[in-house]
Amino acid sequence: MGWRGLISVNVLFLIPVPVFADAVIEGHVELPKTHAAPVMAKRYEIVTRGGVLSTQPPLAVVYLDGSFARPASPSTKQVAQKDLTFVPSLLPVQVGTRVEFPNLDDTYHSIFSYSPAKRFDLGRYRPEERPIPSEVFDRPGLVTLRCDIHEHMRGLILVLDTPYFIMTNAEGQFRLTGLPAGHFTLKAWVDSKTTREQSVELKNGNMLRVNFP
Amino acid sequence: MISTSSPNKRSVAGFRTKLLAAMMLVVSGLTALGLYFAQRNVVANTGRDLQQKFQAELSWLHKVQELRHAALAERCRALASKPRIHAALEDNALDLLYPTAKDELRDLMEGEEPTPAATANSLHARFYRFLDSNGAVLSPPNPRDVGELNSETERQLALNKLSEAQQIGYVRENLGPANEIIHEVVAVPIFSTETGDVISALVVGFKPFELGAKPESAGMKSGIWVNGQLHLPSLQKPAQDALAGQVRDAVTKGDRAQNNFIVSINGTPHLLFYKRLNPNSLFPTAYEICLYPLAGRIAQLHRLRWQIGGAGVLLFLGGLVASNFVAVRFSKPVEQLAVNSEKDRVQRKRAEAALASTSEKLKRSTRYSADASHQLKSPVTILRIGLETLLAREDFKPEVYEELSSLIHQTHRLAGVIDDLLLLSRMEAGHLEIASESVNLSQLINEWLDDLSGVPDSADMKIEKDFPMDLNVVGEKRYTSLIVQNLLENARKYNYPGGRIRVSARQNAAYVLLTIGNTGRRIPPDAEPHIFERFRRSGTVSGISGHGLGLNLARELARLHGGDIRLACSENDWTEFEVCFPIAQPAPD
Repeated sequence: MGWRGLISVNVLFLIPVPVFADAVIEGHVELPKTHAAPVMAKRYEIVTRGGVLSTQPPLAVVYLDGSFARPASPSTKQVAQKDLTFVPSLLPVQVGTRVEFPNLDDTYHSIFSYSPAKRFDLGRYRPEERPIPSEVFDRPGLVTLRCDIHEHMRGLILVLDTPYFIMTNAEGQFRLTGLPAGHFTLKAWVDSKTTREQSVELKNGNMLRVNFP
Repeated sequence: MISTSSPNKRSVAGFRTKLLAAMMLVVSGLTALGLYFAQRNVVANTGRDLQQKFQAELSWLHKVQELRHAALAERCRALASKPRIHAALEDNALDLLYPTAKDELRDLMEGEEPTPAATANSLHARFYRFLDSNGAVLSPPNPRDVGELNSETERQLALNKLSEAQQIGYVRENLGPANEIIHEVVAVPIFSTETGDVISALVVGFKPFELGAKPESAGMKSGIWVNGQLHLPSLQKPAQDALAGQVRDAVTKGDRAQNNFIVSINGTPHLLFYKRLNPNSLFPTAYEICLYPLAGRIAQLHRLRWQIGGAGVLLFLGGLVASNFVAVRFSKPVEQLAVNSEKDRVQRKRAEAALASTSEKLKRSTRYSADASHQLKSPVTILRIGLETLLAREDFKPEVYEELSSLIHQTHRLAGVIDDLLLLSRMEAGHLEIASESVNLSQLINEWLDDLSGVPDSADMKIEKDFPMDLNVVGEKRYTSLIVQNLLENARKYNYPGGRIRVSARQNAAYVLLTIGNTGRRIPPDAEPHIFERFRRSGTVSGISGHGLGLNLARELARLHGGDIRLACSENDWTEFEVCFPIAQPAPD
């Protein structure tokens, strides 16, 4: 399905949001410097440095922390295995989201996670496995995806207890729209050990500019 | 045979005793030294032998340990790279380690405990546990899968901290009264593949390697000292308790990695070795304890001591005999030397005494001859002077003058005899010194022949001369002349009127040979050998003046000059004497 599909799901998901929730936050997250060459193919991967998991090239997830109602019907998203990598390598989801793990390679994969936020083990399966193996992520936290067969494969699912989140682009710029008015904490997840945060006061129709240095 | 031999014998015996004593000292010293070194060698060998055995056992143990460690380290590396175990470790899901590792480590727990001989090749474990990042033991959800341990023992597996090095430890497990076992545990670090840190450790428990399992180590007992307690199951409890105190003293006070000492167990001596098994380990220090019974060794040592002692005694006795023999052999020449020297001394003394006596006799005889000559010459001179005084008177009858002349002639003869005797006595006393000068013999003969022709009764005597005029001989002219005079005198005296005298001389390389022959009655053959004897005159000759000293004197003088005189021939009418003189260069005129 690719990015386009995911975005369209997102757009659909945003429709039931109350009309008064139309505050916008724009800003920039200072991403860690990388010496790697620019990734032209937009292919991201999860790397570990000193036990810290992050995407390469760096990306951040910006989300509005707070206590929000969970959607009545849980949405479904996908993390595919393609060319022996997880695609996308980092996926932010709201709590309760079902994530499918389609195998787009010509080989077996055996996806599992021992992360405290979600332990699961899909076992070995082939590309034509139907229904597509999936898990519901019902606790917030970072879930590390691994494949028992391909030990280098890493994927991250950031389970968030909020419907308001967005991934920055490669430059660290983001734009969150349709936000409710109120006093919140805006957080930027940079890697498994780093989450920056700022308090924000949102008003209807306002656009707030927030930068994470 | 020699009157001074007994003190001599005593000194020779003393020498022999001393030599024997010295040799015995050497033999005793060598024997004692041999004994000492042999025993020391045996003791050292025994110690070294056992030490080597102990070290060999330990090296075997270390080899087994190394094999195990290598295998386990590899196993842990492999484990850490397994995605599920990796995930369990990295994602803080250590509780999932046991179920995840169960399959991976299943072979460790499978099968029966190996026989001691197979221990080295076996990785069979009694149990395994994981430690968390703080070193605490992660309790297994199902202990039966990973080897059951009582909680007390399990707590002993914990470490204060994790280490990057493997740790060896020994833990005791009490399974009931009088039933405790020792586990050898190896804690192998598990490194995070992401951070490189030690995030966990796998502790595997093994049956300890048993020293003395090999057949050649019969009688050896081995055990382990850990946590202040001795585990030596092959020993009775009371003996074990008694030994524990000594081992405690050794390992706590000595603080040495290894040592050995002799202990007594149930009254029999044993050599106890101990060696630290896990130096620098985070687990409590443990020592391998090995007991070797010394009874056999001591018996062997005793036997050997007896053998060496026996050999020493034999050596001593052999040495005694040999040294005695050698002493006798050595002292024999010395003894002989002593005897000989004593003999020589006595002989020398005798010779000296004889010499002194002879010399004294000689001196006496010389003195006697000289005195006699002197005493004789004085009255003869007085007599002659008296006779000559009488002859000078003119009042005697003519026949008195004739008688006086005859008497004076007799005094001259007597003086001649005395002179000859004096000369002979001087010669015999060795007091006559002959000058070595060149004497012209030809001239000397001519002078004497001239004198001879002047003698009245030889006026009609025919004299033949056949010699060169330049014959020179070595000697003193006075005595050479006397020789010639005596011979010519004889040739004249024993001739007959109208007879003939022949004087010839010739020289060869070394001598001048003078031959004087005369006509006259021959010397009887039985008298020939005696003609050179003193006072010997031919009894057949009468009316011829002489006193029997001339030939003897001539020959003595000739011999003193290095020459000789002999009777060349005496035939019917011809007697010939031959004199040889050493030749000389002509005297410068």
